[in-house]
This record gives sequence, structure tokens and C-alpha cells, in this order.
Amino acid sequence: MQKKRFWSPYLAGAVLGATLLATFYSVGHGLGASGAITLVTAKGTFTIIPEFIGRLKYFAQYLTPVSPLINWNIFVLIGLFLGSLASALFTGNFKVLLDKTKTMRVSTRLITSLTGGILMGFAARLARGCSSGVALSGGAQLALAGWIFVIAMFAAGFIIAALLRRLWS
Amino acid sequence: MTAPFEVSQTVSLGLAVVFGLFFGVSLERGGLGDPHKLTGVFYLRDFTVPKFMFTTIVVACIGLYLLSDLRLLDMDRVWIVPTFFWPQLVGGALFGVGYVISGYCPGTAVVGFASGRLDALVTIFGIGAGSLLFAILFPYLEGFYLSSDMGAATLPGLAGVNHWVVIVPIVAFAGGMFFAMEKYEKKESAR
Repeated sequence: MQKKRFWSPYLAGAVLGATLLATFYSVGHGLGASGAITLVTAKGTFTIIPEFIGRLKYFAQYLTPVSPLINWNIFVLIGLFLGSLASALFTGNFKVLLDKTKTMRVSTRLITSLTGGILMGFAARLARGCSSGVALSGGAQLALAGWIFVIAMFAAGFIIAALLRRLWS
Repeated sequence: MTAPFEVSQTVSLGLAVVFGLFFGVSLERGGLGDPHKLTGVFYLRDFTVPKFMFTTIVVACIGLYLLSDLRLLDMDRVWIVPTFFWPQLVGGALFGVGYVISGYCPGTAVVGFASGRLDALVTIFGIGAGSLLFAILFPYLEGFYLSSDMGAATLPGLAGVNHWVVIVPIVAFAGGMFFAMEKYEKKESAR
């Protein structure tokens, strides 16, 4: 087994910190991830069921973008995917699998993957962003939003992990 | 001319891809495509996530306010993440629950999928479904969603102090936390 599979978290975190700083410096706002997934969802579902999706007031801002930030995040998402794909391929860290603990059943893992995702998708829209757009970007700006989100996320995470001890151990 | 800059859309979108690439490489190389590592902190066995997150915040924060103090960046033109106190408190907590259950966050689910994890793809679909659910329930949620609007509130702004009065304790807290985590990990691995 290789001893050093990854970079030190301090080094990797510093690289992202410098990237976030470059984002603030050049374009004047932070980096997001969840907004792009919402945009793809809004546009995708609109092509399938336009009457229903077109009536959703919340999706109007995604279907006819008023903020250029919304489209910007799609390009971040493309970079994020390609960057991590290249990184995983070049370091031999790419492997197709369904990642779970040894004792967890495949069906259980599919359910946890999906329900956890649904919760996060809902929560990120309520909070106006996720761990990237609110916690990291807002946190670095010393925005109250970022610190509320970080504290609430970690507090709730510790509680749910204590209740669901076998989920990841 | 001071930063941030007014750039053409092509330049702006090109930059978005470049920043996204660095975003992806740093998360992947930090090991943050792996749900076992991502949930480790909540089971006190792997502290990669808080180490990574707080390093990112501290580096970007010091840099941002230093550039502003040196008048190399106009803070008034930086878009500050707006605060809506209760929706973000509830949203952050629900997000934490979803994070532990799925083992990913939106950004790291993309990294997990890009490194071959099919469960991460399921989570990405879930995130899309969750945002659709929010949009469907929005008529019932709108009042709460728009409540406790505090605008571009920042910690030093609210406290009425210089930003370094807030930054120095945050850096000290992060440093203390890193020290404690390293000590704890050394003790655990010796057992």
C-alpha cells in the first residue's frame, strides 16, 4: 500500500484558498457548485415538461437568467469535473465502484446516496448555496452567512453521525 | 485600475473553467472525492475535511483583506454572500444531515463521480431532485426563504471592529484545532 496517496489536506486546502482568492480578485465573487446542478435540473426538466416547470416561480431565475453568476457556475462545474477527472486518472486514483462500507448492502447505499442528495439539494436552495458558495466563499469573506452555515452544518453532522453510527463505520 | 475587473463574457467564462480545474484538482488531491474521508470527521477518525476547509477559508480570507488594505482590490465591488439568518441556519443543518447520509457535498460528489464512484452520480441526481422539490414547494416556503434578511452582513461589520480583530482569532482557532487534530491522530495511530 502506498503511504502518500494524497496531498496533505493543508496543501490541497491552500491551493483551493489561493484559487478562491484569485476568483474574488478577478471577477469579484466566490465559487459555487450546487447552483449549476440546479440550473441543469431546471433546464433539463423544462425540456421534458415545460408547462409544469415553466409555472414554478423559483425556477424562473434559472430558465431566464437575470444574474450572470448562474451561467458562470456551469463553467466552474465543467472545470471541476475535468480537473478532478484528470487528477484521478493521472494519479491512478480512478476506479469505477459503488463506494460503501463493507457491511452495507448495495440497495441501502443507493438509498443513502439518493436521500442525502435530495436533502442537500433542498437545503442548498434554502440557504442560497452549499459548502462552496456559502461556507467557503462566504466564510472567507467573513460573511455572517458563511459562518452560520458552517456551524449549523457541523453541529447537525455530529448529531446525525451519533444517531447513525453504523452508516460510515 | 483596481480589482475586481470588468472583463468580457468570454474571458469571464474562460476564467470560470480555469478556476474550476484548480477547484477539482485540489479537492481530488486532497482526497475529498472519497466519502469515507468526507465523513471521517463526524466519526472522529479522519480530520481531512476540517483541515482542508479551514485552510481554504484562512488563506482566501487573509489574502482578500490584505489586498483590500493594500488598495489592490476594491472590497465595495466584491459581491458578499447575503445573509438570511434563519433559512441559512436551517439550510446549513439540513445540509449537514444530507452530507453525512450521502457521504458527499455537491462539489465533492462531482469529484467522486469523476474518480469513478457511481454512488456519487446517484447523489448528484438527488441534489437535482432536491432542488426541484424546493422549487415545487416554494409557494409554501417563500415567506421563510425571504425572512431575516440581513443583506451583506459581515462579522467585523456587525461587531463594528476592524476586520483583523476577527481574522486573528479565526486563524488562532484554526491553528489550535489543527494542533489538537494532529495530536489526536498521532495518539490514535499509536494505539
